[in-house]
Amino acid sequence: MRRTSIAVLGCALSLTVAACGGSAPAGTTDSGGDSGPIKIGSLHPISGDLAADGQQMDNGAKLAVEAINQAGGIKALEGRKLQLLSGDTQGEPDIGQSEAERLIQEGAVGLVGTYQSDVSANVSAVAERNEVPFVIDVSSDDAILQQGYKYTFRVQPSSSVMGTEGAKYLQEVSSAAGEPAKKIAILHEYGPFGTAVSKSFTAEAERQGMQIGPVISYDPLSVTDLTTQMTKVKAAGADVLVVTGYYSDSVLAADAVKAVKPQLDAVFGVADGAYDLPQFPEQMGSASEGYYDSNYHSDMTNPETQKLAALYQKRFGEEIRTGAVLAYDSVRVIASSLEAAGDTDPAAVRDAIAQGNFETLIAGNGPISFTDTGENENAVPILMQVQDGKIVQAHPDEFAQAKPLYPAPPAQ
Amino acid sequence: MSHPSETRQTSPSDPAQAGAPRTRRPVPWLPVLTTVALVVAAVALAFVRSGSGAVVTQAVLAGVLIGGIYGLLAMGLTLIFGVLDIVNFAHGAFLTVALFLTFWLVQSLGLHPYLALGVTVPAMFLIGFGVQRGVLSGAMGKPLQNQLLITLGIALVIENALLMFVGANPRSVALPGDQGVQVLGAVAELSNLFAFVGSLLLAGGLFLLLQRTRLGTAIRAVAANDVGAQMVGIDVRRIYALTFALGTACAGAAGTLVAPLVTIEPTTGSLFNILAFVIVVLGSMGNVVGALVGGLIIGLTEQLGTLLLPSQSPQLSVFIVFVLVLFLRPQGLFGRSA
Amino acid sequence: MSVTELPSTAAGRALPVEPWNRHLLAIGVLAVVLIPLPLLLPAAQGAVAVRVLIFAIMSIGWNIMSGFGGMFSFGHAAYFGLGAYTSAWLLVEHNISPWIGMAVGMVVAAVFGVVVGFLALRYRLKGAYFALATFAFAEMLRLYASSSNLVNRASGYHVPLLPDDTSWWFMQFEAGSPNYFWIALGLTVFGLVVSVLFLRSRVGRFSVAARDDEEAAASIGIPVMRCKLVTIALSAAITATAGSFFTQYYLFIDPDLAFGSSVSIQAILPAVIGGVATIWGPVIGAVVLGPLSDVTATLLREPPTFLSFLQGRVGLDIILYGILLILIVLLLPKGVYGALRDRWARR
Repeated sequence: MRRTSIAVLGCALSLTVAACGGSAPAGTTDSGGDSGPIKIGSLHPISGDLAADGQQMDNGAKLAVEAINQAGGIKALEGRKLQLLSGDTQGEPDIGQSEAERLIQEGAVGLVGTYQSDVSANVSAVAERNEVPFVIDVSSDDAILQQGYKYTFRVQPSSSVMGTEGAKYLQEVSSAAGEPAKKIAILHEYGPFGTAVSKSFTAEAERQGMQIGPVISYDPLSVTDLTTQMTKVKAAGADVLVVTGYYSDSVLAADAVKAVKPQLDAVFGVADGAYDLPQFPEQMGSASEGYYDSNYHSDMTNPETQKLAALYQKRFGEEIRTGAVLAYDSVRVIASSLEAAGDTDPAAVRDAIAQGNFETLIAGNGPISFTDTGENENAVPILMQVQDGKIVQAHPDEFAQAKPLYPAPPAQ
Repeated sequence: MSHPSETRQTSPSDPAQAGAPRTRRPVPWLPVLTTVALVVAAVALAFVRSGSGAVVTQAVLAGVLIGGIYGLLAMGLTLIFGVLDIVNFAHGAFLTVALFLTFWLVQSLGLHPYLALGVTVPAMFLIGFGVQRGVLSGAMGKPLQNQLLITLGIALVIENALLMFVGANPRSVALPGDQGVQVLGAVAELSNLFAFVGSLLLAGGLFLLLQRTRLGTAIRAVAANDVGAQMVGIDVRRIYALTFALGTACAGAAGTLVAPLVTIEPTTGSLFNILAFVIVVLGSMGNVVGALVGGLIIGLTEQLGTLLLPSQSPQLSVFIVFVLVLFLRPQGLFGRSA
Repeated sequence: MSVTELPSTAAGRALPVEPWNRHLLAIGVLAVVLIPLPLLLPAAQGAVAVRVLIFAIMSIGWNIMSGFGGMFSFGHAAYFGLGAYTSAWLLVEHNISPWIGMAVGMVVAAVFGVVVGFLALRYRLKGAYFALATFAFAEMLRLYASSSNLVNRASGYHVPLLPDDTSWWFMQFEAGSPNYFWIALGLTVFGLVVSVLFLRSRVGRFSVAARDDEEAAASIGIPVMRCKLVTIALSAAITATAGSFFTQYYLFIDPDLAFGSSVSIQAILPAVIGGVATIWGPVIGAVVLGPLSDVTATLLREPPTFLSFLQGRVGLDIILYGILLILIVLLLPKGVYGALRDRWARR
């Protein structure tokens, strides 16, 4: 009887707490009114598996808000300051969606995020319904911008652009070195990201006269060993191995390359999540030398980017990643649009985003400028390579910090 | 306390045999030979599909090596099921705890990863003992769903406590001096080889413990007939706790051995959890040798699956095998029909 | 045990006569009382209320098969996902109304359940084996959906936004519309009524008898296999409606959201906490669990000073689920509702 009472009491207590509900604000949408800070929402996986990148991106957004406020806020609106509202998507689409709705309730006039394509897809639906502009900093899936939405924009290059440009770069670099790549094997994660990149890479590569095969996919969540897949690549006699995956599985691929020793001219990451990160040469050591990655990247030849990197290192004690710079860019897009529109009405901001040209710290073909569907028409990846344990920008020339070394047989 | 045997599930297999009783049971030749034949057929098919002997050899080697670790993990699980009749859904979570413990030891004390075994195995033993005494003893003898739900609850708490307090940043443990080694025409990392050998050694140790020590005999007695065991003076409650502790220690050992091979995150163990259940069913619930054999088979299934069904996740192949075993031979390789 | 014995609790004791009409009346009253709720709640809480109802529907479905039918299912995500994907596929690929999609989804899920159930029962899988088989099938569906071009692989489906927000035919309304709550309420009422009618019917009583003692039931001529399959079909159909509604409410579905193991767990928890094999158990459990994630998320975002070390962390809500689960199973095995009912019965 006592046990029952205790348990029932416990449940009643939790019910009462639940009934009081979270201290979520009442549903009055408050666009910041006529004074007070203008709110911008930042939606990233601040906790969960991807927390490291999510936090970086949130930090990047914070630095952008601070920089703008220090420069005098939004001058077209009497110098009103910006305020960043940080939302945690926890890496889950439904939580991302409810966070987006929460931030909009709290008065955000624009959203940036989210790092994951499925979360971004959900948030873009919320943005569309609530007519609040959403600038995607990182999410590559083409489908997100094929829904006919007017309120979603993307700063980074899409999966198909990554694949196509990657194939072009491979052709350019290998031909310039006198050893054009002929037979390309592709190892990709089997989700929509890896599949889309692989498809667009194959299309462009075949157009350029290269032969593609074998194309091997794997499940990034359950894979513990890629030696079997690598043996397939070795048996097929490929010149170059293209890898598209996330961080830990790409490291497994590098391990497998080290173990199986296929005779390759180069390992060529395309939108790969590991080969352009400083952790990769730290973790793999000399076995990582020569690895290429064709990926979106901050333009480190730009002095403003260098200043941001230094500031980030000082404030947060670690090296800035491209995702954070993209988040920085995205916040600046919204801020500049507020300037141009002279209005906090999200619809006006949206129009300003659609029509504007925006400065960028990311290496690309020009300022950020959006097409009708919301893609950034000047977004392209650049080619990086691990040289002497460091990631250097190698191609195209205008962004190159060093010449690309080709062939770069791995793990010699 | 109601007698466990009263509500013991009428499972298709014999009530648990943790290893063989004193009179050796005959080796069930038919299912074993059928399995061997199926494996050989799968290898041959994979050879045809992939067109390369080197690839198939690599797959077989990789499958066997990881299968050893799966087997060690499954041995713990099958022991728990055989003796306590508990479907321990928290087994994978315990493996995750061992992974993080190993990471912490390597990171902060600079221990060689395998030396960490000396800490993780006793630690997990104690944790298992505590969990069984504290939480699970209240559920002994209750219907299946109660135990399944309690162990599920434990798993949720452990995984999310790790998530909350340690964070989800992926971590890794490196084996110093790791390199690729040629084995029979294929390549394996030293860490894989050591993990495999370590698993076999520990499995052998567990087997010897069950067969040759008084504790082992007591465990087997309780598994066979707990009422009878109680009547001859065995402290059944203590045996329950010790067995659960032993099973959890197996999870701990498997965790440390597998640490250099996987990314360490709070969810890592749940992948192994499902595989362990598949293996336990395959090898017959309660049969320790069966678990090891089952582990090797499932490891092979995963690798051959990538060759036979290249566009699918290897987990699909494992589940297909699982479902076939459940329907065609639910008592597993070594069990007898009900 | 005679065939006309009334449903017993999970622990095996019979209860006094269940007045079915009282249950139906209670369902009706509750529905009427709850109708104004979405108009009174602020938007954030309105979303929580819808989530509570989705949990309730899933769990009511689960309870039919696993509580009343005694066949513990660990893979109910299969039915949820089939409901979700069927209506999503019909909508996106063929522009068919989600109402029709929901009905088709119920049929698809029921057929799948009957096939799996038939195989499992024919091969005499029980207890842990049966549960693991259901889990395996749910996982296989997830893995297959992730790589199958038929259903857009792991990208899943987006429900296309209508140019003018509102359409009853396409079950789409503006964000935060109370219509979503009312539809979910309707589905919950539907599930509860089906549960009551099921228990009152011959099939239901036979199933419960078979749950309590299969051999005895078979020996007096109850067609056990047929009853079990009907039970499974009903259970699958109800859960499938939750899946279809989920897709329309969240405008998105992918293999993990549809078939993931967390979905199966979400179907089980409310019933266990509220009371397995009771009519109201799943509803009570859903009311307890539904707001829990929201409360903990708010708590973790702005914790009171004595809990400041929790700031910015995640996972508290699931830890609470786990602890609650353990406590309930150990201390209140009949769940909250079951325990309350016993207390009142004893007075």
